[in-house]
Amino acid sequence: MTTAQAPAPTRTSVDTGRRLTFFRALRSEWIKLATLRSTWWSIGIAAALTIGIAVLIAQAIEAPGFDPIQAVVMPIQFTMLLAGIIGAISVTGEYSTGMIRSTLTANPVRGSVLAAKSVVLALFLFLSSVVIFTVAAVAVSLVVASRDQSIDWSDPSASLLPILVSSLSMAVFALIGVSFGFILRSGAGAIAATVGVLFVLPIVASFFSMAGEAWAWVVDASAYLPVAAAQSAIMPSETAALDAPVAFLTLGCWVVGGALVAWGVLRSRDA
Amino acid sequence: MITAEGLTKRFGDKTAVDDVSFTVKPGTVTGFLGPNGAGKSTTMRLIVGLDRPTSGRAAVAGREYRKLRAPLTEVGVLLDAKAVHTGRSARNHLRAMAATHGIPASRVDEVIDLAGIGSVARKRAGKFSLGMGQRLGIASALLGDPHTLILDEPVNGLDPEGVRWVRQFVRHAASEGRTVLLSSHLMSEMAQTADHVIVMGRGRVLADAPLADLVRSWTRNTVRVRTPRPADLAAAVGGPDVEIVSSAPDLLDVVGLPAARIGDLAAERGIPLHELTPTTGSLEDAYLALTGDSVEYRTKELS
Repeated sequence: MTTAQAPAPTRTSVDTGRRLTFFRALRSEWIKLATLRSTWWSIGIAAALTIGIAVLIAQAIEAPGFDPIQAVVMPIQFTMLLAGIIGAISVTGEYSTGMIRSTLTANPVRGSVLAAKSVVLALFLFLSSVVIFTVAAVAVSLVVASRDQSIDWSDPSASLLPILVSSLSMAVFALIGVSFGFILRSGAGAIAATVGVLFVLPIVASFFSMAGEAWAWVVDASAYLPVAAAQSAIMPSETAALDAPVAFLTLGCWVVGGALVAWGVLRSRDA
Repeated sequence: MITAEGLTKRFGDKTAVDDVSFTVKPGTVTGFLGPNGAGKSTTMRLIVGLDRPTSGRAAVAGREYRKLRAPLTEVGVLLDAKAVHTGRSARNHLRAMAATHGIPASRVDEVIDLAGIGSVARKRAGKFSLGMGQRLGIASALLGDPHTLILDEPVNGLDPEGVRWVRQFVRHAASEGRTVLLSSHLMSEMAQTADHVIVMGRGRVLADAPLADLVRSWTRNTVRVRTPRPADLAAAVGGPDVEIVSSAPDLLDVVGLPAARIGDLAAERGIPLHELTPTTGSLEDAYLALTGDSVEYRTKELS
């Protein structure tokens, strides 16, 4: 080119502080979660199920030695699926609508997207579960008060700890859903996988308890499934399948393992 | 500034983008043209890191997109209007996007006004018409007041007012020194908007030139002549470098002679002329000539 070109006018960059940070990614994920009606529907159903079933159990079981806190945490058998599904659809909803492309252009660091979504989902499930289980505990207290029973708040292992560990378990189940969401991307697939791990596998494993000695390892292994491990962690006892530390470690492994596979898929596959 | 160097993307054994290199300069609107399946959208996805290139690299402002510290203030992207969760309102979608960069809510309201979606901003995006969805996509692209705009078919589904707004907006953005890469299939619109064009076909760059140069080198100037004595006129102007096509009994399209020369030749022989119209080629003509062999999904000629 022989003609001299006037330099294009350039805009001077002013640092307005508008840049990506992990804390901001968290805020964004929270806004995304909080602005979907499905989130509040799901958590509302979880609340209704937890409180309703807890009250029913408290009314039905009058056996001596029955600790009322068990009635509070037992509904997790049902609500665990909701936690897993909330986690799964928080991811697959982005893939099915194309939102993921907006998410990943706003935050191209994929590990950060995975981490932010996981932290927000886990915190949301944990905190809302604490509230829900606490309300259920109050409701159960009212029911059992008529039989001169009560939840002993002075003994954390019979009150506060089961509530906290149950809430933590709900967060773990949501994170398993998040991982399956990133790994499978399809809503149906991720929900099926989450329900499979949380609900179907324990039932399948329980069939093997009727099989011979040769199959005992299946039953032993099933103690390490997320829901079984959660049960061992929520109500530690001599008869629990896993010691409490092992149970917590198992839950941790499900979270970390799931997140690692999800991260591998997310960073290597095209969005 | 956007640069692509030897950018290649294969999906299985199909090569969507094949060794593509170009530079999109600031201060200009660069049109990105090509038939469906030519690799334009894939190239744009590679630039913003949604797809990983098989080989080669793409950079915005000299850095790989994934390494940008503030992607939204650097690049505004509209890839397709359907990059929004259908269950979330437009405003909440923009709030969530803005939050990643600490962009304040006032800016969210600003881009809602700019894109003209104020009346529907609190409605769920799933209920949006094609045009409203497109406007929301443009609003998202503008959130960070970016230095570079990458817009894939931004006027798709827009009403005439919206089409004009996009044209004026990108012209203005370029005049402020921003970089604009814009794809469209509307050639007349592109001819009014772009300064420079990159044409792709079958995954390769077919042309990368200023719009005027492209049109000049890929079209021919034709003179349309209407006369009651077409045979006499054809004999008068005919020559080795002149091509004459008769499209109606009294109409000739002459290529290879300027209008003045045709008029003079007719006058010398006393041939009456009823029309003498020079026509210059359009971007559409140039585009069709250029991509003729590389159209992946060709429409069958109507017979």
